[in-house]
Amino acid sequence: MNLNTLAWRNLWRHKRRTLITASSIAFGVLLAVTFTGAGDYFYTRMIDAGANMGMGHISIMAPDYNRAPSSKKRLHQAEALKQRVEEFDDVQSVAMRIQGQAMFASARKSIGGIFFAIDPRQENSDNNLFVKAMVEGDMLPSASGSSVVLGTELAKKLKLKIGKKVVYTTTDKNGDIVSAIARVGGLFKTGSDEIDGSVAILPLHKVQKVLGYQQDEVSVLAVVLSDQRYSNQLRDKMQALPQFADVEVLNWQQTQPDLAGMIAVDKGSNYISQLLIALLVAAGILNTMLMSVLERRREFGVMMAVGMSPKNLFLLVMLESFWLAILGLIIGVIVTTPWFLFMSQTGIDLSAAYGDGFSFGGVLLDPTFKLRLFKESIIAILVGLFGLALLSGAYPAWQAGRVAPVESLKTL
Amino acid sequence: MESEIVQLRNVRKIYQQGEVQVNAVDEVSLSIHQGDFAALCGPSGSGKTSILNLIGGLDTVSSGQVRLEGVDLSTLSNTALSEVRKNRIGFVFQSYNLIPVMTAYENAAFVLDLQGATKTECHERVMKTLADVGLQGLENRRPDEMSGGQQQRVAIARAIVTHPAIVLADEPTANVDSHTAESLLDLMQTLNEQHGITFLFSTHDQRVIDRAKRIIQVQDGQIVSDEHKA
Repeated sequence: MNLNTLAWRNLWRHKRRTLITASSIAFGVLLAVTFTGAGDYFYTRMIDAGANMGMGHISIMAPDYNRAPSSKKRLHQAEALKQRVEEFDDVQSVAMRIQGQAMFASARKSIGGIFFAIDPRQENSDNNLFVKAMVEGDMLPSASGSSVVLGTELAKKLKLKIGKKVVYTTTDKNGDIVSAIARVGGLFKTGSDEIDGSVAILPLHKVQKVLGYQQDEVSVLAVVLSDQRYSNQLRDKMQALPQFADVEVLNWQQTQPDLAGMIAVDKGSNYISQLLIALLVAAGILNTMLMSVLERRREFGVMMAVGMSPKNLFLLVMLESFWLAILGLIIGVIVTTPWFLFMSQTGIDLSAAYGDGFSFGGVLLDPTFKLRLFKESIIAILVGLFGLALLSGAYPAWQAGRVAPVESLKTL
Repeated sequence: MESEIVQLRNVRKIYQQGEVQVNAVDEVSLSIHQGDFAALCGPSGSGKTSILNLIGGLDTVSSGQVRLEGVDLSTLSNTALSEVRKNRIGFVFQSYNLIPVMTAYENAAFVLDLQGATKTECHERVMKTLADVGLQGLENRRPDEMSGGQQQRVAIARAIVTHPAIVLADEPTANVDSHTAESLLDLMQTLNEQHGITFLFSTHDQRVIDRAKRIIQVQDGQIVSDEHKA
């Protein structure tokens, strides 16, 4: 009989104990999937939502614009750069945008705010949060009209309705104050009072004229990726190209450091929670394997007496840990799969607790608790728990290999 | 004279029990020869099992020398001692000590597996040995499905299946009834007489002493008599 078979049979000497320990590994899988899945889902949602609020996963801009934004700093030949960026795999969309601060004035009131000038042909609900959040009227009909789309709160403060006029005042490429008039064509509501009360969407070509920009000059090229995890890799690729030598290529961590920081802190606490769970699982496995070794000291003594080497005894107990880990992981996958499918497809609606305007790190989020797992997370969970189970079995296995036959044969 | 398998020269084994030193084996010199059917006898605590453990390489001498087939066991590493036990010594214990998750066949084949015997060779030898010890047809029974006598027969099969130089049997009849003890002794006697297997018992069972061809009396760790029966 080979050691593998012997290890497998040994595992079933105490069925209940084996099943309880395997269940603790399975519970570890469930918790790890829940914690990691929540992280993978929420971090992705936050990063994507942050990207869709104006800057993309990768932002291409004039040097130093990110540190000190100004209308004076602008990206030249944006159209050519846009076409080059679109050639990269994993680039979902590239939008030319101008952003800046402006004073918005109605007949009754003036309020400071932020504007994003966009070309509606380049924008959709996948790369622009405001398109998705339209509640009244229409998004800009073209890049050269004189429409404006306001946040509902901003419109309310300015006492404006659809069709009414608004004057926006900002500084042009030379730093001079310039104004233009626009007519409210639509209203959006994201759910965040801060955003809805300060943001206006303007037509790109119109704003280019107002600021004195050429038609291929913008503040930023906002690049939205099919998967935010590629942002570092793609940024590095772009930076290495000669066309991008005179511009700044930044990823979302650089353009949204607050968000990146909050995610890092949250990830850290998530890892600590998972580490504590892992330690609990490890303690369970260690306890089971150690008990199993101690109660078989005499048997191990006999095995060594008849010629089994300490190395083979170590291997035997390690194989028992191996099969215990495999069993636990299989039960874990069986138990976790329906939970994960439900949570990834349906999720739990938390809007009753958080309302519609649930924001984190300045980013607006859907208040539905869902799970998502990246392939590398699945591998990390399975390999991590498997490794942990083996590691927990190493000490008992070492103890088994150290059994002195003559001493253990004396034990009853 | 038959060739020497085991040779003990001035062997001492001292155990430390708290602050007291116990001379479990005291200046013992002894030779066991090919084909011996010998019994180490004496009262409990006389040092029988300690001598058996030293010969079997399960314990190390405090001084002196134990040679098995000419090899000084004290010079061997733990791994090398494992090899010697695996290939040259068979053990039979008082309480059978079979592996409970294995069948009779698998228990008997255990040491052959450790030796790396092929499946065919293993099968042939195990089936023949199980037949020799009277367990034909019980190959697939687990220890908890067998009587004490049957279990001890499996233990004997495990000990002899590798054709060891010597079988060391520590109180092999202590845990079985007298009828079973007689049948086990019949078996071991037959194996000794027909197959030339060398047996060294540690016992205080008169039935074993009566059957033994050589009786070595041990008292207070010393050999007080060594008698060959005619």
